[in-house]
Amino acid sequence: MSTWIPLWLHRLGSPPTFYAFAGRLRPWAIGLALLLGIVALYGGLVLAPPDRYQGDDYRIIFIHVPSAWMSLFIYAVMGVASFVALVWRIKLAEVVAMESAPVGAAFTFITLATGSLWGERMWGTWWTWDARLTSELVLLFLYLGVIGLYHAFEDRRQGARAAGFLAIVGVVNVPIVHFSVKWWNTLHQGSTVNLFGQSHIAGDMLWPLLTMMLATKCYYVASLCGRARADLLALEGGKDWVRRIAAGEAR
Amino acid sequence: MSRAPLSRACAALLRRDLVLAWRQRGDIALPVLYALIVATLFPFALGPDLALLQRIAGGVVLLTVLLAMLLALDGLFRGDLEDGSLEQLVLSPQPLAPMLGMKILAHWLTTALPLIVIAPLLASLLHLPAAAMPALLLALLLATPLVSLLGAVLVALTAGTRRSGMLLALMLLPLCVPVMIFAAGALAAAQQGLPWTAPIAWLGAALALAVVLAPLACAAALRIALDA
Amino acid sequence: MSGLRDFLAMGGYAAYVWPAYAVFFLVLAADWLAPALRRRRLLRELRGRIARQEARERRGTDASTSLPPAT
Repeated sequence: MSTWIPLWLHRLGSPPTFYAFAGRLRPWAIGLALLLGIVALYGGLVLAPPDRYQGDDYRIIFIHVPSAWMSLFIYAVMGVASFVALVWRIKLAEVVAMESAPVGAAFTFITLATGSLWGERMWGTWWTWDARLTSELVLLFLYLGVIGLYHAFEDRRQGARAAGFLAIVGVVNVPIVHFSVKWWNTLHQGSTVNLFGQSHIAGDMLWPLLTMMLATKCYYVASLCGRARADLLALEGGKDWVRRIAAGEAR
Repeated sequence: MSRAPLSRACAALLRRDLVLAWRQRGDIALPVLYALIVATLFPFALGPDLALLQRIAGGVVLLTVLLAMLLALDGLFRGDLEDGSLEQLVLSPQPLAPMLGMKILAHWLTTALPLIVIAPLLASLLHLPAAAMPALLLALLLATPLVSLLGAVLVALTAGTRRSGMLLALMLLPLCVPVMIFAAGALAAAQQGLPWTAPIAWLGAALALAVVLAPLACAAALRIALDA
Repeated sequence: MSGLRDFLAMGGYAAYVWPAYAVFFLVLAADWLAPALRRRRLLRELRGRIARQEARERRGTDASTSLPPAT
């Protein structure tokens, strides 16, 4: 391994150390996520005034947009972790990549569901073949493909590497899909949907949005910690440190 | 061990795959039959209205060919994986990527080419205007190798798993969306009498890129999937 | 409590806003619970495996001392 990776990162890469570290980090992350989430929801649902054009319906934005950001952010994290896992064969990177996928799929699903609830009222239809919607749907399929491929292998680590490869292929694919659908939609003269066309966002709507974004980021960290801990226990089932944990939790 | 030159190895592999496919001629006919059946079912589902059929003909033919190829893709490496010759290929002194490129070429010749040959028949069954026929053939000639190349990467990834056609479809769909959009875009433009070279040029550019990159990605994926 | 009723009515869009929030919280709750359940199941299986292994070892030593050697 090259020398530019700091020593503490090396140590963190060892499963028992990371297990303990994630266990300490997790309560703080979820606590911060809940705190920020409550503040953001109070700001968004109570303090922010109704929108001039959309009334109170726009309040879906406070969960829809942060979820959409998270769906892309988690995919990027998964791509980077997969790359690290494939190049340096670090077990922890495989765990991070593969345990990010279900969280990302959850956020993508939330984005699609809340978006269609919003669109049902705003555009009069819950689905339209807009570039953004279609790429989000394709993103969900990519997440599901990664999860499916990971579980199709008997050997977990091999499955993680194969699914990581697929994730990297997807990183190239998402922008291509986005631009091709945009091109397709202009050709077909489809729906002319403009999400933030007339109203640019005001300050007392913006801060709950950004707070919620931070809250979802914290939630992702917490959820990833929990998932990585469970996955490490499964991967290292025969080792002594896992046996000590199992014996320690026997009540 | 003396090392055969790459061109001879590639030619030998291509000939071997084509001979193997020729010995099992029935398997070549299956995707064609499948495409024919699916295309005949469409008018029954939608009614024999001429205007409607004309409008959807191009899309139906593209989709039918894509589905037939998806069915056939599953078998790209299966035979070689079961009798161990794929591992021999991975271990051979020649670079893996061009050899896999030859395998993909052989697979395209045996599954996609027959589909392209009957595509005009399918299209005229659905009353596609004759003016759009060149666009259809050109789009198929560029889109099917693209699907073969992209699909080969995914098939290589699933080489180490239990057989799962559904998973392959799930993984291939996101990659096929742009291919489908540009192929259908060319057809729609041709049917409306508009210039249709731009989407065809995009497909050609994508194919040029895929011919270079997909065999390399396929080789990397195969090494991951067989690395037990 | 007309304030609360107004808040719950969401300016007439309650049927869109609240289901959206419900989806958000239900999906994230499911995502949160899944690894916890998985972790518990894993540890239970692991304890079972350890217990079986210990029992086998104990039986193994008992058998070697108590049983007469087979001839």
